[in-house]
Amino acid sequence: MGLKSGGLQRKSKASQEIPSSSMADIAFLLLIFFMVSTVFQKDKKREILWPEAEASEKIDAKQKEILNIWVEPNGDVYINDLLWEMEEVRSVVRPLYVETQAALVVSIRSDQNVPYFHVDLLQKELQAAGALRVVFATELEQDLIMERR
Amino acid sequence: MAVLGSKKSKVSDEIPSSSMADIAFLLLIFFLVTTTFPKDKGLAIVLPEQAQEQEVPQKNVLHVIINPTGTVIIKRGEQQQEQQVRPNDVEAIWRQGFAENENLIAAVKTHRDAPYRFMVDVLDALQTAGARKISLQLLEE
Repeated sequence: MGLKSGGLQRKSKASQEIPSSSMADIAFLLLIFFMVSTVFQKDKKREILWPEAEASEKIDAKQKEILNIWVEPNGDVYINDLLWEMEEVRSVVRPLYVETQAALVVSIRSDQNVPYFHVDLLQKELQAAGALRVVFATELEQDLIMERR
Repeated sequence: MAVLGSKKSKVSDEIPSSSMADIAFLLLIFFLVTTTFPKDKGLAIVLPEQAQEQEVPQKNVLHVIINPTGTVIIKRGEQQQEQQVRPNDVEAIWRQGFAENENLIAAVKTHRDAPYRFMVDVLDALQTAGARKISLQLLEE
């Protein structure tokens, strides 16, 4: 009796629906974030086991100034998805180095089990090309993993 | 006639804004799918210029020899004494050596068949210890 007219039945004035008018704003915000952070890949991903290092740090260079050189366990060298002979690397890297006004950073992306002499030959090629700023691409080594070992 | 001319068109002359969210989401999904966050972490090093070899007094050199099995042999400059350690121990050895001699240079000599990751382990240990003068070489037999 008294219950029906009581405050329990009264409807709240606040809408129960999620306001949809700001949905577009949220979408655009996300959109702009992804547009800005998108980098279209130059070369396809390769299945390699990264070496791990605790001292890994972010490469301090613009995205377009980074050249990825992939070294596979059998010694194949890939630059921009093309297979090159080790002796050709210097003539491939040199024009790219000049193009970036000597700001080129070479990221050596090598499988952790590659015999070292391949990497050594690559370093000599890069020296010949004048591209002296080199980064050995690694995965950040987590302390947790180290403790488990 | 006058009535006809003043009749308002029923077609709205505004761009429909209700589909704006759909367009935004479509673009959003496109960029979500195509985004790859660049994975560029690594150990940076500057190679010496070609044919720029320097004579370094032996007492300033810390030889770090990496074997194919991953064992590391430390040889201090002039001493003949060799010390077999693990890659992680190089950090402490460098810190100790650098405290004694500020001009110390780490010469990392890797066996040609040693897996790349052992060289990275040693380089990691040296960089963690703050070493700046590092020379990467192939082990001559």
